[in-house]
Amino acid sequence: MGVLLLVPFALTTYQSFTQDNGLEPPTFIGLDNYIALMRDAGFLHSLLNTVLWTVGAILLPAGVGLAIATFTQHLRFGKIFQLVFIVPYALSGVATGTIWSFLLSTEGPINTVLAGVGLGSLAQGWLLTWPVNTLVMIGVYVWQVSGVAVILFLVGLNAVPKETIEAGQLDGAKGPALFWQIIFPQLRAITVVVIGISLTNGLRVFDLIWVLTGGGPGQVSEALAVTMYRRTFVLGQYGVGSAVAVVLTIIVVVTSWIYLRAQMPRRSR
Amino acid sequence: MARLTIRYLLLTLVSAAWLVPLYLLVVNAITPMSDYAGEASWWPGSFGLLENLNVAAEQADIGSGLLNSLLYAVTGGLGAVVFAALASFAVVVMPVKRPALWFWLIYTGTLLPLQIFLPPLFKAYNQTAIYDTQFGLMIIYVAICIPFAHFLIRNYLMTVPEEIAEAAQLDGAGWGRLFFQIHLPLIKASLMAAFVFQFTWIWNDLLFGITLSTSPEIRPVQAALAQLTGGIYSVGPPVALATALVVSIPTLVLFLSAQRFFASSLTMSR
Repeated sequence: MGVLLLVPFALTTYQSFTQDNGLEPPTFIGLDNYIALMRDAGFLHSLLNTVLWTVGAILLPAGVGLAIATFTQHLRFGKIFQLVFIVPYALSGVATGTIWSFLLSTEGPINTVLAGVGLGSLAQGWLLTWPVNTLVMIGVYVWQVSGVAVILFLVGLNAVPKETIEAGQLDGAKGPALFWQIIFPQLRAITVVVIGISLTNGLRVFDLIWVLTGGGPGQVSEALAVTMYRRTFVLGQYGVGSAVAVVLTIIVVVTSWIYLRAQMPRRSR
Repeated sequence: MARLTIRYLLLTLVSAAWLVPLYLLVVNAITPMSDYAGEASWWPGSFGLLENLNVAAEQADIGSGLLNSLLYAVTGGLGAVVFAALASFAVVVMPVKRPALWFWLIYTGTLLPLQIFLPPLFKAYNQTAIYDTQFGLMIIYVAICIPFAHFLIRNYLMTVPEEIAEAAQLDGAGWGRLFFQIHLPLIKASLMAAFVFQFTWIWNDLLFGITLSTSPEIRPVQAALAQLTGGIYSVGPPVALATALVVSIPTLVLFLSAQRFFASSLTMSR
């Protein structure tokens, strides 16, 4: 494992400081790749998309998961509703992309339905313009991954002691107040897990974008994970691609670290 | 009462919205290519799933893809679980120096984005001629799955009381016996959970598949599906959707049957 993971990690970092087209031996050029990236409008746009992805991919699945878990927990047919949300989580990014590229195509069911209910003016090529394509893909991602948040929040809700809730009710709390003041704080540990998972996954979404738009049209819907792949393996710019990978890594590690530190002030493992 | 009705109504609406894509997937996957007229089918007609899969098999060799993915997911999952169990045993039960350091060293593998590993792997694979081989993909999948499996198993192993190991050692059990006869049976649940988790992950992976292989006989099935989807209008949506459906069934069954399991191992561990 050390050879297959840690060594490549070090090599990529070194490679990001070199000029390397994969054909001639690499030459060391210091920070030039990074400087070039900072001046590259396409890269900055990709960075912006990554920010959108991260925000959307954290808040929305966590919100959907919490809502569905809360509203179905003690419901008679709750399990059936939960299942509906959990099934897409088992699908791969490629399968999800396949389904939605069909649904979103210009002649696809979504536009047909819109036209059918008299909203034909809203029908459009969903994946053809920015920022619509990125927002739509984030929506697809939410459809795919919210199930895991449902599962985790259910575990958390089941672990809240009955006595705590009863005590809250005795003090006169009910409805939303009971939820936000008594139950939600008890879910803290689970919320940390859900957000933590979403944070790292949202930053590195690759297959969904790859299948739905390929990062296009042009490169407007690229996020860093896609930019890195295209630069390295499509264009053969190993040095630049590695630099993108390093930037992505720094963002992932720093945000996770800040987040985890903020959440676990004292007794970290 | 009224509140409950509203709750059911809202849940039904949202669930319906969530369900429609899955419904359309199934209906259009079984619509025969020959009946497909450029518009989505909303109701199941004649059964053409096999016909569609035939086209997919001809265009993108889905059959090999499925077998390859099965091979990678089983060997990758098993291999990762074995190594992760050994590593966990070493870190938790055996008296190593700096167990926390070892743990973090291994665990870092799950924190870093996979992209950081790819360029040198691609180069190294090219130079050692394991590029585009089944062996090459098997070893990288084992390696990439160890960190998270280690994370799950280690946390579970931490809950096994130390006294058990001490008692066994007093009875003269060596490390090997301790591992195979005492600890392994005790942590069976976490081994299963880790396997399910990593099997699903490998089965669903695209990135390593397309980076480290090209030929249809080696490529995992997600790569084949991505190729079909990329050209969705040349093969027609029913073919791509039929493939997506078949590709999803194994993980769907495995994941849903192991769902409880998965939830408890994941939450206990963080």
